[in-house]
Amino acid sequence: MMKYQYLAVVFVIIMLPISLVFSAYLGAQLQTLDLQLSYDTKLDNTTYDAIKAFQLNTVNSGTSDFLNSKIRDIEAAANSFFTSLATNFNMSGYNSEILQEYVPALVFTLYDGFYIYSPFENTLDADTISRLPANATYTNGEEVTGLKPYIYYSCRYVRGQIDVTITYSLDNYITIQGTDQNGKAINDAGYLIDDVTYNASSGQVTYRGIEITSETPLEEFVGDKKYQYIKINGQKYYLDESNSAGPRWFYLDNGKMTYLNENQNFRDENNDMAYRYYKEAAEFKNRLSNYGILNLRSSDARSPQGTALTPVTDINGDVIYDFTGGDYKIFDFSDNGGTSNIEEKDSNFNDHRLAVIRYVIETNLSVALANYNNYGTGNFEFRMPKLGEEEWNRILNNVCLISFLQGLSIGGKIYNGYSVINNNKNEEVVTEESIYIVDDVTVPATTNSTYHRVNHKDLTVTANTKGIFNIDLERKSLGSDQRETTLYYFPRRDLGCYTCFVAQTNINGGYDNVYDYLDSISSSANGRALAKVYYTALGRERYSMYKVFRNGEEHTNQFR
Amino acid sequence: MGDSLITIIAIILAAILMFVFPLMSMSDRSDDISQLTVKTATTEFVDNVRTTGRLSMDNYAAFEQEISATGNSYDIEMEVKVLDENPGKKTTQASSTKIGENVYYSMYTSQILDTIAPGDGTTKVLALKEGDMFSTSVRNTNTTLSQQLKNFFYTVAGNDTYTIAAEHGGYVTANGSAN
Repeated sequence: MMKYQYLAVVFVIIMLPISLVFSAYLGAQLQTLDLQLSYDTKLDNTTYDAIKAFQLNTVNSGTSDFLNSKIRDIEAAANSFFTSLATNFNMSGYNSEILQEYVPALVFTLYDGFYIYSPFENTLDADTISRLPANATYTNGEEVTGLKPYIYYSCRYVRGQIDVTITYSLDNYITIQGTDQNGKAINDAGYLIDDVTYNASSGQVTYRGIEITSETPLEEFVGDKKYQYIKINGQKYYLDESNSAGPRWFYLDNGKMTYLNENQNFRDENNDMAYRYYKEAAEFKNRLSNYGILNLRSSDARSPQGTALTPVTDINGDVIYDFTGGDYKIFDFSDNGGTSNIEEKDSNFNDHRLAVIRYVIETNLSVALANYNNYGTGNFEFRMPKLGEEEWNRILNNVCLISFLQGLSIGGKIYNGYSVINNNKNEEVVTEESIYIVDDVTVPATTNSTYHRVNHKDLTVTANTKGIFNIDLERKSLGSDQRETTLYYFPRRDLGCYTCFVAQTNINGGYDNVYDYLDSISSSANGRALAKVYYTALGRERYSMYKVFRNGEEHTNQFR
Repeated sequence: MGDSLITIIAIILAAILMFVFPLMSMSDRSDDISQLTVKTATTEFVDNVRTTGRLSMDNYAAFEQEISATGNSYDIEMEVKVLDENPGKKTTQASSTKIGENVYYSMYTSQILDTIAPGDGTTKVLALKEGDMFSTSVRNTNTTLSQQLKNFFYTVAGNDTYTIAAEHGGYVTANGSAN
C-alpha cells in the first residue's frame, strides 16, 4: 500500500540530483555567456577608443599622409588600444607587453591597403648581427610585436600580353603597374568615373551632364583669422596677405604656422581641383582603353604565383564572389549613365573591387593569425574567427580597425572574440557621405552660416553655396613659439543644420546613393546647381588628397 | 475507509512528485535556454546598431524573429538618446568631443518604429550619429509554462513579473547614412 510513496520517493531521489546538476550546469553556461557578451562589448569600446585616437591624430597632423607619420599615428592608436584594454578589463597596471599576449592581431584597414599589428620574429642579417653592440636593445630571433609591412589591396591580371597588378582603394581610384596589350610597360593611376567627357579643343568638362568649372578660392580659419587656402596633395597652404614682407603662403607644421619663401608662392586664382579631377579621369579612361585594360575579365585575376583565385565565401561556405565562374568585364563603361554605372554600389567594378580587397585581407590575415600560434603561450590554439557579412560590409567601405582578443578565461571556456569598428571621419578617404553643403560661404565670422546634408529638403543653391569636406569641421589646435598655450579653433564656423543632422526630419530619403538622388532632382535648375556644387566638392576633395603615386614636388609646382 | 483516504493522498502526492516536479524543473531549464538566446540576440542587435549607426526595419524584424523563435512573446523597448547640443534648435558641431554641454533627447520604441516603418508600406533607415546612445530591453509578456506551474503551486507571480529578460546599450560609434 505504501509503494506509491516509495516509488515516488525513489524517483525523486534519482531526479533531484540530475535536476540540480543540470540547473547548475545551465547556470554556469549563462554566466559564461554573460561574461562573453560583456567582453564583446568591452572589446568594441576598446577598439573604438583606438580608432578614435587614430582619427584625432590624423586630423591634427598635416603630415599624416606621409608614410612614417602614418606609422607613428597607427602605433599611437595601437598603444591607446592596449591602455584602453587594460582599463576596460580591470587590468590596469599591466603593461602592454603582457596584454599583447592576448591580442593576436590588430588590423588597420586604410585607403589602399592595410597594416597588421602582430607579433613577429625579428630577423637580422649576418652583417647586422656582427655589428650589434653588447648592450643592444634588440637581438636576432627575438619575438617583437609591431607593425608588419603595408599590404596593398592589389591583384594580378594576366590576359594575352597584358600582365598587370592593379591596386584598388576604398573609392574608385586605381593604380596599374605591369605590361599592356602590346607588351609595353605601364605605370599609371587615376579615378574611374563613368559618364564624364572632356572636349580637348574647348576645354569643357562635363560629368553626368553637368559642366564642371573652376570655383572661387576656398577660405577657412586658422586660429582667429580667415585665410584663403589651397589643398595640394593632402597639405593645406594658406595665403597671408597682411604679412609685413608681402603676401606669403604658409602651412601648418605640427600646429605651427610655417611660411614659404617668396619664390614658392602659389598662384592666387580660382580653385580648379575639381575640374582637374574630372578632366584627368576622362583622360585616364582613354589611356585604359589604349592599354587594353578595359578588356580584362574577372577570370583573368591571378595570385602572385599565377594560379587562379579561389572564390570568396561567407561564414556558411556559400560563394559570395567567384572570380573564375562570374566571367565578366571588370571595367565596364558600356552602360554610360545607366544603373550599372561604375560608381554604383553593385556595378561590376565595385563587386570585383570589394572581392579583391576581401580576398587580400582574408588570405594575409589568416597567415598572420596562424603564425601567432608559434609565438603564443602555447596552452591555447588560436583560430581565426570567420567574419560575418555585416562586418565585411563595414571593412570594405571605410577605414576600419579589426581587433582580435583571445586566451582570457571566462569560466567554462576560453574567450575568443573580435571586433570591427569603422571610422568615417578621417583624412584617408573622401566618401560620398563626407561632403556637406554650406549654404553661404561668404557669411562673415560674426554671424553663422549653416551646413547641410546634400539630401536636405528644399536646399536652395546660390552662387555662394559650396560643398565642404566634413573633416574641416573638426576642432584643430594651433601652437606658436611666442605662446606657450595651445589655441584650439574650428577651421569652419558653420553650424550644423538641426533638421538634417540631429532630428533628421527634413531630408529626402529612400535613394540608393547620392548619385541617384542628384539625378532625380536634375529636372530643376536648382537641382542641377546643387549637383554641380556637390560634384565640384567631391572632385576637389578627392583630387586634393595625398596620393602615393604622384611625384609630390612636381605636382605641387603645377600650382606655383 | 482510512486506508483508502491515505491511498488517494498517496497517489496524489506520488503524481505531484513524479510528474509535476520534473515538469517544473524542465520548464525552468527551458526558460534558461530562452534566456540564453534572448540575451545573445539582444546584445548582437544593439552592437550592430551601435557600430553601423543604422537601425533598419530589416535588422529589427530579424531580431524580433530570432527572439520569438524561443516560443514566447516579448515586449521590446528601444531607446535612442540623440545628441542634441543646442537647445536653440541649432547644432554648432555634431561632435561629442566638443567642449561644452551635451544635451540628449530621447526617442522611444513607438517613435523609432514610426520612423523605420512609417506605415505606408515602405521602410526607412534611422541613421544615428557618433555620440548618440542606443539601448534595448526585452522581457517576456506571456506566462511561460514554468511561471504557470509556479503560480499554481506557490503564487509568487504578479501581473508584470517576467522570467526572461535582457538589456543592452551603449554609444553609437559610427555616423550612419540613411541611404
